[in-house]
Amino acid sequence: MKVRVERGENNNSMPAIAPQAPPASITARYARTSAYDELISPDGSIAPHWQPILSGLEALTHEQRLERINRINTRVRETGIAHDLFADPSRNVQPWHLDLMPLVFTSATWAGIEKAVVQRARLLEAVLGDLYGPQRLMQRGLIPPQLVFSDPAFLRACHGIEPPGGRIQFIAVDLTRSNDGSWRVVDTHVETPAGIGYALANRTVLTHVSGDIFAASKAVRLAPYFQQMQDQLAQRINRPDPSIALLTPGPRHNDFFSHAYLARYLGFLLVEGDDLRVESGRVYLKTLDGLQPIDLVVRCVAGALSDALELDPSGFLGPVGLVQAVRQQPSLVLNALGTAIAENRGLGSMLPQLSNELLGEDLLVPDVTKRWLGDPAVRSSVIQNIERYFIRRAYEQTARPGRAAPGRDASQMTAAERAALVEDIEINGAALVAEEKTTLGTTPSYGPNGLEAKPFALRVFATAVSGGFVVMPGGLAMTVDAGASMALTAPDGASRDVWVISDHAQPAFKSLWRPAIEAAQIQRGPREMPSRAADNLFWLGRYIERADWTFRVLRNCLSRIEEDSGPRQNLQLARMALLTLLDRDNATPVAVPPDLDEPRVIAHLARMLMTSTDRVYGLPQTLSHIHRVASLTRDRLSLEAWRTLNSFYVGRRWQPDALPRSIGEELDLIDAGLGVVAAFNGLTHENMTRNFGWSFLDMGRRTSRALNLSQLLLSAFRLAPSTVVGPEDDTGRMLFVLELADSFITYRSRYRVNPTLALVLDLLIVDETNPRSLAFQLAALSNHIDTLPQTGKGRGRTEVQRTALAMLTDLRLADVLTLAEQGPDGQRPALVSLLSRQVERIPQLSDALTRRYFSVVEKEPRWVRARSRQES
Amino acid sequence: MGSGEVAAGVMRFEVSHRTTYSYRLPVAQSYHLVHLQPRAFARQAVVHHSLLIDPAPVISTSIVDYFGNAATLLRIEDEHSELVVHSRSTIDVAAPAAIDPAATTPWEDVTSRAHLPDGGLDAGVLQFACTSRLTPASRDVRAFARESFPARRPVLDGAMHMTRRMFETFKFDSTATDVSTPIARVLEIRRGVCQDFAHLAIAALRTLGVPARYVSGYLLTRPPPGQVKLKGADASHAWLSVWAPETGWVDFDPTNGIMPTMEHITVAYGRDYEDISPISGVLLGGGDQRMSIAVDVEPVG
Repeated sequence: MKVRVERGENNNSMPAIAPQAPPASITARYARTSAYDELISPDGSIAPHWQPILSGLEALTHEQRLERINRINTRVRETGIAHDLFADPSRNVQPWHLDLMPLVFTSATWAGIEKAVVQRARLLEAVLGDLYGPQRLMQRGLIPPQLVFSDPAFLRACHGIEPPGGRIQFIAVDLTRSNDGSWRVVDTHVETPAGIGYALANRTVLTHVSGDIFAASKAVRLAPYFQQMQDQLAQRINRPDPSIALLTPGPRHNDFFSHAYLARYLGFLLVEGDDLRVESGRVYLKTLDGLQPIDLVVRCVAGALSDALELDPSGFLGPVGLVQAVRQQPSLVLNALGTAIAENRGLGSMLPQLSNELLGEDLLVPDVTKRWLGDPAVRSSVIQNIERYFIRRAYEQTARPGRAAPGRDASQMTAAERAALVEDIEINGAALVAEEKTTLGTTPSYGPNGLEAKPFALRVFATAVSGGFVVMPGGLAMTVDAGASMALTAPDGASRDVWVISDHAQPAFKSLWRPAIEAAQIQRGPREMPSRAADNLFWLGRYIERADWTFRVLRNCLSRIEEDSGPRQNLQLARMALLTLLDRDNATPVAVPPDLDEPRVIAHLARMLMTSTDRVYGLPQTLSHIHRVASLTRDRLSLEAWRTLNSFYVGRRWQPDALPRSIGEELDLIDAGLGVVAAFNGLTHENMTRNFGWSFLDMGRRTSRALNLSQLLLSAFRLAPSTVVGPEDDTGRMLFVLELADSFITYRSRYRVNPTLALVLDLLIVDETNPRSLAFQLAALSNHIDTLPQTGKGRGRTEVQRTALAMLTDLRLADVLTLAEQGPDGQRPALVSLLSRQVERIPQLSDALTRRYFSVVEKEPRWVRARSRQES
Repeated sequence: MGSGEVAAGVMRFEVSHRTTYSYRLPVAQSYHLVHLQPRAFARQAVVHHSLLIDPAPVISTSIVDYFGNAATLLRIEDEHSELVVHSRSTIDVAAPAAIDPAATTPWEDVTSRAHLPDGGLDAGVLQFACTSRLTPASRDVRAFARESFPARRPVLDGAMHMTRRMFETFKFDSTATDVSTPIARVLEIRRGVCQDFAHLAIAALRTLGVPARYVSGYLLTRPPPGQVKLKGADASHAWLSVWAPETGWVDFDPTNGIMPTMEHITVAYGRDYEDISPISGVLLGGGDQRMSIAVDVEPVG
């Protein structure tokens, strides 16, 4: 079964789990193939260590199991594992699926895996030490020089740099079972932490849903492993309160989820190359408060692309000059620059001999048969038997689980394709390997008929500790297509958690989420706010408030035309409010169909606002901005806040074809949206530390609210009453704006009289105690701005401060009686001019903030690599 | 040998290499990697070398790169619209030993004979038998190589044949290619500059497994008879070096169809231009740039 999960709100309609008569036992239809199977021993009996899990699942009804699968899917979506941040949200495929059934190992089996992975880590550390040092292995022919020198991952500029604690901090090994039950290595990852965030997220999701079974099975927990990893990194730096940055290629990279999740879990700063700067051999983070030194860079970017000056000139994923910084401070970057050469698949067949030479040990778990095609003799023998192999690149860029490139299979090719493949082998053999096809071991997957046997590969993670390596007691298993490749190629992202059953009871649960924040050892200082993060949080605040406002306008307008549920008054005002949003930012004015009556016009415009993708204030754009910016800042948001926001996006409810048809249903949806915004605002208000991050988020909110309110008031009161609603309906206008600004109850409790314009304007414009008033927003902005780092201390106010102060003062000096005064033509010139000034200056304030605080990201020219040539 | 006198059989040169970059927009900050100091080796001695940079860099660090070339890392913090890098060197060059290309190993056997004195594989040589970013392998490039390398031809004989063939059938044309022209295109149009010819020849040799490296340097040019040599009319030049077990590395200049003698001055070598480009830089800002180069190679003594 290919498990494809639809991104639908109605989880029960998933095609993968079709409603069928549940089998008597979940193992009833489990069929073992000729391959080694984890669940059923060759004699047909069920391996005893699976029993607690099987019993746990069989104790549930079929419906309860489906319910758990639905909860897993929901969590997977809400955690964001599945998202490709920039993918089209209307596409239905979720590229990640977590099986209800974990893969389970006895501690004895696991001990064997651990030994093999640790041995491999030690071996590759020794190989790297030689390749970046004396290079004796090449001289002795144990590693062909052409293999090393054909691989762009060998970084010549890093030769001779000796990190004292070794080059490998993070290693991951992909394993499969042979038919006889022995393990084989498919791929080794020593470039980056290789998707460990996915394993961690899978565990978090599965124990959330199946925590009872997890506890009953006495499976080993992961937190102590990450604690060891944290301790080791802190020890490597050997100074109090170190700053550790996790360097990611950014949100467009397909492993970004893993980077952000890991950074958040371990309490590291999540940074991109542009956030860092090298000066005098040290790496600094560009923050709001100037340059802050970074003690250790956890590298999640390709080494070759980490320094455009000395490495690949097209690589801007790290700060310019990083290699020189590493020369002066060799353990600055982990894994060390250049480790990817040890991933070269061509090394596979050489490792047994290297293990004997370098460690004096037999290699415990060798690779699947991989033959390096740089060797002419190997080349011709492979070409003669080409159907037996997959032809693969010797080096691969991605470490995201499931994304390994499929091998080329001559048995599936036309004669012409095969000839091209042979020619490619003959010309580019040094960059290729032939991998012998073999069967893969199987493990149970939970499907519609109970358990089914699926071929799998297992990724195991290890990290360096002083004196060696420790293996994470768990991992990531994926269903792989044995017909395409041996590696973790799983386009459907069918994954499962890996449980190691302990012989003894497990100590009480201890998650790092809280200790990471409490422990003084590794902590993010309040001032370390990268400019990029400040920028993103500012915009998150703006978009959240924009969504809130849009929802309020929609609710107000639609409730006026709902059948029999309110007075059908002031429909022209509703139309005006909707058009104000639709026509924002110089959009082409909406053409209102002339033949509709007023309620239908409102319904039409409201639906347009809810579905239009080309209007700046259309909900689809606002919601996708929220999702994108929240994803970029998720290392700074609490998990709850992130999940709350994400639930917005992952449901398909906001897609045009999924919108409800009745106004009542639309209103329900809008109320749900308002609930999400309120929950997010509450969570950030309660849980976010009052540091610069909070300031920028709140400034974004305040800016947006000030803009929306002043624009509404301006639209409502700009025209003479007679042209819009008739002179008797000034009251209607006042009620309308009071309601939209959520201030109606305040007004009634305070004045207990029918709205009087001067009093309404006082409440909405100048009253600094009303959190919905214009003056309140400006006062809050001004307060935040005064606490921001100011570089020109003692030189008077900055441009940002001056703009905010001018706007606030303008409001404070306003006299509400004058504002309410009507001229002979029915206009209110004082009010219009005050509001126009505000509407004009808010974008100026936002621009000034951008110039001052975000400019290192936005405004600076980009780094470019200059090129010339030799011409004579 | 003191710096005042020049030994017999040796030519002394003074080289001035001045590069001026003009940027359309100001450069806020820049990092540079410079390969302008001539390399010292058996038949070449560097008597004097100086590097002048304007605006002055805040940091200038000398390093030795992976290939043993002297290089300089610079960081400039002053905002500037023009950058001048002026390298001045005095170099003594001795003639290479005479070799007999016909007496070298057949090209098919070269790789298997790249050994160190202790019998180990010579990784320092073999690394140059591998493709690099600017010298990719292809069927066409290999076919091009085979025209000069029939079975069992001595390797340097083949290299000389290819050098002559390129000189005769390729046209020097600095407008036909630019810095981003791939060798496949150079092969197709049979035009280009020294850098293009060197890259193509290197790529061709590497498709046969023959170690070849890119050499950056200077060439003494002579004015037409009866004319005065113009100031700054020389240029930085590029050629290649091919390895044979009998001879070690031997230079070939396909742009001029010759084996260099005493009038080629070596600055650096690497896999291709990218490893040893005279000045590479990463700039913050700058926009479009114009570069002007003035090179003078003067024999002295």
